[in-house]
Amino acid sequence: MVERRAQSIGLGRGFWTATGILAVLAIASIVFWYRFPLEQYLPAAIITARQVDRLFRFMAATGSALWIFVAGYLIYFAIAFRAKASDPPDAIGAQIHDNRKLEFWWTLIPTLFVVLLSIVSVRIWYEVMLEPENGIVVEAIGHQFYFSFRYPQINGEVTDEMHLPLGVPVTLNLTSADVIHGFWVPAMRLKNDTVPGLVTEIRFTPRLVGRYPIICTQFCGVLHSDMNKQALVIEDKASFDKWFKGWQQKNAHASNALPAAGGQAISLQGGSAPAGKQLFAQKCTACHKIAPFAQTLVGPGLEGILHDASHPNLVNGQAATPQNVAAILQNGYTGSMGTMPNASANGLSAQDIANLVTFLSTLK
Amino acid sequence: MAVAAVHSGGIADHIHPEPQGFVRRYVFSLDHKIIGIQYIITGFVFFMLSGLLAEAIRTQLLNPNGGFVAPDTYNEIYSVHGSAMVWLVVIPLLTGGFGNLVFPLQIGARDVAFPWLNMLSFWIFPVSGLMLFASFLMGAPTAGWMEYPPVSLQGAAGTSMWCAAIFLVGVSSTMTGINFVVTILKMRAPGMTFTRMPLFVWGQFATAPLLMIATTALAAALAALFINRQFGVPFFDPTKGGSPVMWQHMFWFYSHPAVYIMILPAFGIISEVLPTFARKPVFGYKLIAFSSMAIALAGFMVWAHHMFTSGLAPFLQLPFMIITFIIGVPTGIKIFSWTATLFGGKIHYATAMLFAIGFIGLFTLGGITGIFLAAIPFDLHVHGTYFIVGHIHYVLVGGSLMGIFAGMYYWFPKMSGRLLNETLGKLHFWLFFIGFNGTFVPMHWLGMLGMPREVATYDPQFAFWNRFESFSSYLMTFAILIFFVNVLWSIRNGKRSGPNPWGGRTLEWQIPSPPHYYNFKHIPTVYGLPYDFGQPLPYKGLDEELTDSPPVAAGAH
Repeated sequence: MVERRAQSIGLGRGFWTATGILAVLAIASIVFWYRFPLEQYLPAAIITARQVDRLFRFMAATGSALWIFVAGYLIYFAIAFRAKASDPPDAIGAQIHDNRKLEFWWTLIPTLFVVLLSIVSVRIWYEVMLEPENGIVVEAIGHQFYFSFRYPQINGEVTDEMHLPLGVPVTLNLTSADVIHGFWVPAMRLKNDTVPGLVTEIRFTPRLVGRYPIICTQFCGVLHSDMNKQALVIEDKASFDKWFKGWQQKNAHASNALPAAGGQAISLQGGSAPAGKQLFAQKCTACHKIAPFAQTLVGPGLEGILHDASHPNLVNGQAATPQNVAAILQNGYTGSMGTMPNASANGLSAQDIANLVTFLSTLK
Repeated sequence: MAVAAVHSGGIADHIHPEPQGFVRRYVFSLDHKIIGIQYIITGFVFFMLSGLLAEAIRTQLLNPNGGFVAPDTYNEIYSVHGSAMVWLVVIPLLTGGFGNLVFPLQIGARDVAFPWLNMLSFWIFPVSGLMLFASFLMGAPTAGWMEYPPVSLQGAAGTSMWCAAIFLVGVSSTMTGINFVVTILKMRAPGMTFTRMPLFVWGQFATAPLLMIATTALAAALAALFINRQFGVPFFDPTKGGSPVMWQHMFWFYSHPAVYIMILPAFGIISEVLPTFARKPVFGYKLIAFSSMAIALAGFMVWAHHMFTSGLAPFLQLPFMIITFIIGVPTGIKIFSWTATLFGGKIHYATAMLFAIGFIGLFTLGGITGIFLAAIPFDLHVHGTYFIVGHIHYVLVGGSLMGIFAGMYYWFPKMSGRLLNETLGKLHFWLFFIGFNGTFVPMHWLGMLGMPREVATYDPQFAFWNRFESFSSYLMTFAILIFFVNVLWSIRNGKRSGPNPWGGRTLEWQIPSPPHYYNFKHIPTVYGLPYDFGQPLPYKGLDEELTDSPPVAAGAH
């Protein structure tokens, strides 16, 4: 009997009043998130930053509307259905076990919302991912505890700020010289980790002149907290060119080479081409093809690497000589083409290096 | 009504005499209830220690330039705070603690399936905890609870100690998981089919396989990190051909399921507390039970959403984003069902109920920001910032810890035979609730505006909100002090509770508080769900539980 009487409990006027108030609050929160001047607090330095803000507004609006309904009903039920002093001590609530219709709808609607959110997220993610690939290539290298930057046609590394011209698409290659760092420019709404041994790229187009802090977001050692002092400077073409020329002159005599291990020249005497060929098949073909330079697997194609007039320089900017090739084999390389492990990681002896260089010089 | 053929198996067929010496009774006990209480006491001791570390963190962040401790010490403090809260507090309290204490009673068993294994899992836990805190003596780990290599390869000797300590506590978790799965599968009372199990048992049943399966991946990762550090085998060292991202995969393959290990038992607690105090059945029993299983299963397929910035191929990231969104659906169903449970109730506001209702509101907020983080473009902005810190504390403090407190107020009478003081309890709830929100709400916008996590100093523009957070966190600590005072006072002076102070209908409330060594005089027979208020209890064989008659072996009735 108790059950029968209890189940006939209606939603009542209080419920609809509460629903009305919550609906107003939910709409107010949606309006709030769509009108909130995010860019006053954090400028949108690149084109896709505004897309990320759009996604945030969408999620914050729907999320806070949902939360207002959940929390609002919680509070309303908690007050409306509290046990009163006048209730008998063994009074029980309405013995409702479930309601198929209600459960169907509150499974279906979140599922549809997940589909909608997936579509919105994927579309905006594509806009972030599909920035032009033909932009200027800049490299950021994480160090304990700063970032250094490499530009085409500037020797060596730029160590204070990263300058970029307004409106020109950029491909930023990220890697690290020691541990994992996080390269984050909050004004770009974009980050990526700099992982040693990996080169990852992010692409973007600067849209707003200004100075924006670059912050490390991945714990990288004792001074991680201080790795927020550098800045990304977006400026007009003229100022950028001036800055660029300044660094070209300043670094005119800087070397692009990585420091040689132990500082000794590697002896290439007595290299055997057949032994080198065998080694090449074992150790190198995972990343390099015997094909023209442009045919990249991970690293460039190595056909005629010591005889190719169109590629007088190696990836580290040095002349394509047997000695310089040997230096890359010995020391490895990290740069815009990716990362090549050094001789100890590859398990190459001095004799192996000599054999490999001899083999490479037979490719014409 | 037909009684399904569920037998309690051979293990509980005879009753062991209760051991008499203090050591066998309270130290090296085989009794699941004592082991549960041991877990709870040890867990709360570690909670106090890592809570003090949390206050050291907040004190450092009172000023943009820090100055409370040196940066290196600060890094040690937050790393041990995070590791200890996850592995020494939340997981042991919810699985080893409340799991051991409550669910064997709720399924009508006399103990867990493997009492010796249970004792062993408990005793590994304080040892590993002491090892973790002892790492301060040799330079504690500094790279957070995630200890990403290569930076963790540079850490002081304590980082290896950390590996060993977490490995050991993982062994303990794995054994607990095995024990719980077998107990739930084999030792339910006659008639307790899966769809008659209380929802707390469902929570443990969804959690235990995660403990078994995921923790082994963590063990492998920790062993590899330890070997890399101590013996130089370069698993994670990129200069020698190792892969640092490999660690992240192995770590998150455990640590994402681990967040469900930390929340599913709390879901179970809430699902018990809500119907008891609303005096009505939990709404949508089956969907709540099955959604726990769905969450546990899907939880294995989303680990890489922690790694969107780690250089994964883009096409690999997409499924992780979408599966993470999908987990929002079963979680949402639970939240809606709990909210609907209140509808039409006769709600009594004991402190446990306040924590349960607070849990729903705060966990929902944490769940919603979790969906934000799953969306790759937004994650690329806030990953590694205070937004993440805010999110994780909403689900682990607003969720798991509020669940633990609800469980403490709810089951303390079952442990001790006495009630916790309700006035102090309500003060605890309201101060904690206010302090908690004050501490963690501002973190969301600080993160979005540019404050990275794991920093000892920060940009002065964030000073105001950081101070606000620090002072709120002191309020939260004060509330927790009230809780400890309440527990210590109530153990001796609390009002006697009797067997069933809340009018609960699950099996543990039908026997004395604290229960006898053998739990049930007769193994009861179960005829239905425990949530039909106003109806006779769906159990037979409990008539003598509150009398002086001797216990009877399972086969004898």
